[in-house]
Amino acid sequence: MSAAEISILLVDDDEMIRECICAYLEDEGFSVRFAASGEEALETIAAIRPTVCISDMRLPGMNGVVFIGKAHLLCPETGFMLHSGLAYSLSDELRAIGMTADDVFLKPIHELSTLIKRITEIAAAGKKS
Amino acid sequence: MLHSHESGQIRHHEKALLDILDTLPSIIVRVDRDGRVDLVNRRFEQLSGVSAADARGKLLATLIPQFAGQLQQVAEVIDCHAPLTNERIQSGSGADLRYYSLQIYPLNSGAFGMAVIRIDDVTEHVRIEEIMAQTEKMIMVGGLAAGMAHEINNPLGAIMQHAQNIERRVSPTIAANLKAADEVGVSLELVRDYLEKRGIFEFISHIRSAGVRASTIINNMLHFSRRSEVRLETVDLAVMLDRVLELAASDYDMKKVYDFRNIKLVREYAADMPLIAMTMEMEQVVINILKNAAQALSQIGTGSFPRIILRTRPDGDKAVIEIEDNGPGMDESTRLRVFEPFFSTKDVGVGTGLGLSVAYAIVTNGHHGTIDVLSQPGQGCNFIIKLPIQGRNL
Repeated sequence: MSAAEISILLVDDDEMIRECICAYLEDEGFSVRFAASGEEALETIAAIRPTVCISDMRLPGMNGVVFIGKAHLLCPETGFMLHSGLAYSLSDELRAIGMTADDVFLKPIHELSTLIKRITEIAAAGKKS
Repeated sequence: MLHSHESGQIRHHEKALLDILDTLPSIIVRVDRDGRVDLVNRRFEQLSGVSAADARGKLLATLIPQFAGQLQQVAEVIDCHAPLTNERIQSGSGADLRYYSLQIYPLNSGAFGMAVIRIDDVTEHVRIEEIMAQTEKMIMVGGLAAGMAHEINNPLGAIMQHAQNIERRVSPTIAANLKAADEVGVSLELVRDYLEKRGIFEFISHIRSAGVRASTIINNMLHFSRRSEVRLETVDLAVMLDRVLELAASDYDMKKVYDFRNIKLVREYAADMPLIAMTMEMEQVVINILKNAAQALSQIGTGSFPRIILRTRPDGDKAVIEIEDNGPGMDESTRLRVFEPFFSTKDVGVGTGLGLSVAYAIVTNGHHGTIDVLSQPGQGCNFIIKLPIQGRNL
C-alpha cells in the first residue's frame, strides 16, 4: 500500500495539534482529514472510511474511547489509535476490537516518526486480511 | 482481724496500681513542687537508667536533663492547677534522634502540692505524620500536574512536533519541498547550506530536546496524582528487573552521568516471585533508583569498584525489592528528604529532584507499598521496596 493510498482521520479538538500532526502526515504522503469532535468524526468516518483513525482521548462531548467504540461499528475495517494526555491501559472494549498498547500514544508525542511507523503497520496488516 | 484484712486489701490495690503504672508505655513520675522525685514507674528506670530507689528524693531535672527546660514548669502547674503539655521535644541527633511529648498534671487529691509527669516516646508517630505530610504534598503537586498536563501537553506537543515539521520541510527527500523551492526560485541545497552554517539545525534540535525535558517533568509529576487509569497485571519480578537493567544500559541520561557497563551488577533474586503490579510504573521506580545509584557511584574515586546489588525476597504477603549500592551514602538529613519532590543534591540541570519522589509516589500511592532507604555516609545506600504481592486493595 503506497502512502497516498493510506487515508487518515485525525480527531482532536485542538487546532494546534491537528495542524502539526497533519503537516507531518501530509509530508509523509498520506491523505489526511480531520474532525474536532467525536460527533463530527462519526459523520466523516462513514463517508471516507479511512485506513486509520487517530482520536484524542479528551474530546468535547463523547470521549475518545466512546467514539472509537461507535466508529468501529460503522467502519470495522478502520484501524484505531488513541492519543492520550494521561497514561491509559486499554479497556476490554478496545482490546476486543483488536487495539493493543502500541496503538496508544501519550501526549506529547516526542517523535512523530513513531506514529508513522504504527500507521504503516496497521495499513499493512489491513491489506493482508 | 478486720484491720489486717483491710490492710491486706490496700496492699493488694497498691500492687495492682503499681502493676498498671509499670505496664503503661508512658514514663510516669510523681514529683513535689521543687521537682523532687517521689515515685517512678519501670519505664522511667529504663529511660534514665536510674532505679526507683536511687531516684527518690533527687531532682528530676538532674536525672533526665534532656527535659530540664520543660520540668521548670512543675511549680507553675501546681500553683495554677492547670496541666501543661509539651509536644515534639527533640532528644538526641542523627540516627538517635527521638521525639517525646511531656505532660505535667497537678494532683488534686491526697498528694496535694504534687504533680504527675508523663513522658511518651512519640518518634514513630512523628515519622508517620511526616510521611503523611509528604504524601499530601505529593498529592497536591499531582493534582496540580494533572490539571496542568492537559493544558501544557498540547502546546508542548505543538512546539516539539512543529520543530520536526521544520526539519522535514527543508529536507531534500520530500518532493513537495523541491517543488516549492523551485516555485520561489531558490535552491533547497543552498537553503540547507545556509541553515547549517548558521547553526539553525542545531537550534531546532535543541528545541526538540528541551521539549522532551519539559514533557518528562510533567509526566513525572503526574505520578503524584491518584488519577491513574493504568491497570495491574501479574509480573515476574526477576524478568522485570532484568528488563530494567537492559533499559538502564541503553539509557542516554544514564550514559551521560556514568557508563552503566562499568558498574558490577549482582543479582540476588529469590526464585519464582510473581507480583501483581503496574509493570511500566514499577520499571520506572527501579530505573529511577538505579539512576540515583549510578549518579552516586560516579562520585566515588578511581580504584574503587562500583557495584549495585539487586535483591528480591518474599516477606509474608509482601514482595521485597532491595537495590543496594556501594557509593558514598548520605547523611541523615539528606536521607530524610530524598523522597521529597524537587529535593536534589545534584547540580541544577543534572537532576530535576523528581526521580525518587516519583518512585515514592508510584510505590505508595500506586501500589499501597512502602519504600525506605538505609544509608550512612561512606556506607552506600540500600533502597527497600515492599509491595503487596496480591496488588493494592482497591
